[in-house]
Amino acid sequence: TTFLVGSTTLFFCFTCPWLSEYFSSVIPIYTAVIFLFTLANFCMATFMDPGVFPRAEEDEDKEDDFRAPLYKTVEIKGIQVRMKWCSTCRFYRPPRCSHCSVCDNCVEDFDHHCPWVNNCIGRRNYRYFFLFLLSLTTHIINVFGFGLVYVLHHRQQLDTPHAAVTMAVMCVAGLFFVPVAGLTGFHMVLVARGRTTNEQVTGKFRGGVNPFTNGCMRNISHVLCSSQAPRYMGRWRSPQAVDVQPPFVRPPLTEAQLEAKVLDNGIQNDRHSTRSKSSLDQMESQSADAEPPPPPKPELRYPGLPRADTEESSLLTEAPHTPSMYKYRPAFNSPGRNHTALTHPNKMIRGESLDSPSPSILLSSHQPSYRSEPSSLDGTTAVGGGVGARRGGGERGEGPGGPGGTAGMMSGGMSGYSLTGRSYTSYPSSLVLSTGGSHSSSLRSAHLAHNPLATLQSEGTTDTSYKSLANQTPRNGSLSYDSLLTPSESPEFESVVSPSSPLQGYTSPFLSAQIAQQREGQLLQGSATFSSPHRAYLRAVSPPSPSSGPPEIQHLLQHNQDSSYRAPRNLSSLSSSPGALEPLTATCIYPLCVVPPPPPPFPDGCPIRSTSRPVLANHTTSKPGGGVKKVTGVGGTTYEISV
Amino acid sequence: MHSVQHHGQQPRRPDLPHCCQPLSPFHNLQELRHSASLANKVFIQRDYSEGTTCRFQTKFPSELESRIERTLFEDTVKTLNNYYAEAEKIGGQSYLEGCLACSTAYLIFLCMETRYEKVLKKIAKYIQEQNEKIYAPRGLLITDPIERGMRVIEISIYEDRGSSDSSSGSSSSS
Repeated sequence: TTFLVGSTTLFFCFTCPWLSEYFSSVIPIYTAVIFLFTLANFCMATFMDPGVFPRAEEDEDKEDDFRAPLYKTVEIKGIQVRMKWCSTCRFYRPPRCSHCSVCDNCVEDFDHHCPWVNNCIGRRNYRYFFLFLLSLTTHIINVFGFGLVYVLHHRQQLDTPHAAVTMAVMCVAGLFFVPVAGLTGFHMVLVARGRTTNEQVTGKFRGGVNPFTNGCMRNISHVLCSSQAPRYMGRWRSPQAVDVQPPFVRPPLTEAQLEAKVLDNGIQNDRHSTRSKSSLDQMESQSADAEPPPPPKPELRYPGLPRADTEESSLLTEAPHTPSMYKYRPAFNSPGRNHTALTHPNKMIRGESLDSPSPSILLSSHQPSYRSEPSSLDGTTAVGGGVGARRGGGERGEGPGGPGGTAGMMSGGMSGYSLTGRSYTSYPSSLVLSTGGSHSSSLRSAHLAHNPLATLQSEGTTDTSYKSLANQTPRNGSLSYDSLLTPSESPEFESVVSPSSPLQGYTSPFLSAQIAQQREGQLLQGSATFSSPHRAYLRAVSPPSPSSGPPEIQHLLQHNQDSSYRAPRNLSSLSSSPGALEPLTATCIYPLCVVPPPPPPFPDGCPIRSTSRPVLANHTTSKPGGGVKKVTGVGGTTYEISV
Repeated sequence: MHSVQHHGQQPRRPDLPHCCQPLSPFHNLQELRHSASLANKVFIQRDYSEGTTCRFQTKFPSELESRIERTLFEDTVKTLNNYYAEAEKIGGQSYLEGCLACSTAYLIFLCMETRYEKVLKKIAKYIQEQNEKIYAPRGLLITDPIERGMRVIEISIYEDRGSSDSSSGSSSSS
């Protein structure tokens, strides 16, 4: 800069007066104009915001933060362009945007960081930079040329100060001319081709096809004639002038959507719980429908639940999903967060209860059996895809997390699940953190292979691995949760449970407290309805695997008898011995349903401590054998029937 | 009588806490007013299929399925896209603006607003109007994309918090 200004000033002082006298006054004026133009462009290039992107706000990147893929591809005029995730600015960089390490900002249409100007050159100031280069080149040529003329004319008077200065100025000009002209030429080519320096230097379009070019003339006109792009930083934020208040107008829901909404709650849990169990049993590595449906997204997100929530807290925030409880769901969602903690345990419990009746079924055929379960509960015959689709429709608005996790297990028709994928973002991440990487990574690989959700994710992300992550984490959570709550599952669970066993102890007391509160109110309501759907479910379930039933039952019965009294008191012991949970289930169920079937013992059983105590009292009195028969359901839940 | 009630005071409501007892006929509206809470945000991403010109995807996000009609949403996004296209158009006005700026050594920018800025103002007004008329009654709110660096259109979804309050409030106020 000093060179430029200094030498130009000298030029003006020494050379110009003579030139103006000798030739015309136009020359200095012309030179001055060019010089001023150069300076103006220089200042604009230096001080103008090149097109810095403001940092993305926290809520925008909630989905993106734990995304596995670093890149997101976008098709521009038929050419695939990769957008990279910028971890500093927290968004996927738009095409042609790059992060400048010197300025520590993402700059739109990033060209380069110019040391002469000490500023990034981006969309907004590229034009000024280019014009600066042009005008500087012209200016240098002017100075050099006129200096040369002067010198040539005063060949005999080279020792005068004027001539000397002019010579010096000429030398400086000559010296600077080479790089400046080179750079100018380079940029002229870039402009004609529609590329940025960044792209040219990194050789992005060496192959030849540049999706950003519109033709030579258009490119040039775009650089020189387009309107000044707005700046993004430092804008005045208009205050929120619009008041949003209820009641809200809603578009009319279709019949199918309404039906899905109502039924979803009931169905979801069954599906999830069963699915997670089966997956756990059989294929640990397979992507399973992580049972604990991720907590409903709306509630979780804005209540500001930290991502690092433990599994259980995220699990606990789930809405109750007992079949009889489905009616809660719509109401549940709107009141929002306050209820999540309470309802979540219920949901888990319910899922568990459904699972327990047929662990064996899980082993054999997950999806078909599960599908039928919801249908039996609902009374509809829709299976699989139908259910999923309905669920999806209904769930969308509510953002429940349940289906999402199970998507992995489902084949195709689980489109409904994917809708909740978004809600998983915080949930999965928390679960991942809590469960540890190794477990989820194995799941992730499985998920990637099996996850049909990838195609269904609606946020325009192409990240399947992210989704699998989302699916996994709930599963991990459910693993621990399931193991705690479903005693019947213990035989199958044990192998699976061990990885997540550390969580069990932790989760159970927490869950129990929460669940107990909810359960008490709901138990009585749900019991009646539970028995019938479960009976139907069991029937459907039992035929497939009668063989696995008996051994389980034996095992469970033994557990039951041994630990029936212990279990309710000490959940920690329960966590260590999954089998011990059974008695709890049994005892809880007892007062509610004397009939053997496999009623949702789960919800009843799970309530855990607070409810179990009173129940236990009943149990103890009846237990001692006076006409009380213990029956273990298919799922391993134990029921006591008075004979 | 010993009634301490002021003129126009509503009868006391046992279901509300003491602090929320209606003091005036309008008090119930205030209970209503604060019962919407931010539940979720939907982000409409940019559509880069035609290059880096500013366009937003018109794909209807699933979260809005039950909140707003598809056509309304698409109309809004299409209008916004048109506004942005108009702003970025290279034509007579932008060329003249450039020449003028050059000739005045860019000092003209101190006085005059660029074409883009003018269109942005129009957009802001449009969004405000859409919010007032269409989105706020449905519990949604659109944020001007310029605040997000023109990368996304952010739509905030509000939920009825304390629906019991609002319902009782509305019933008593209506």
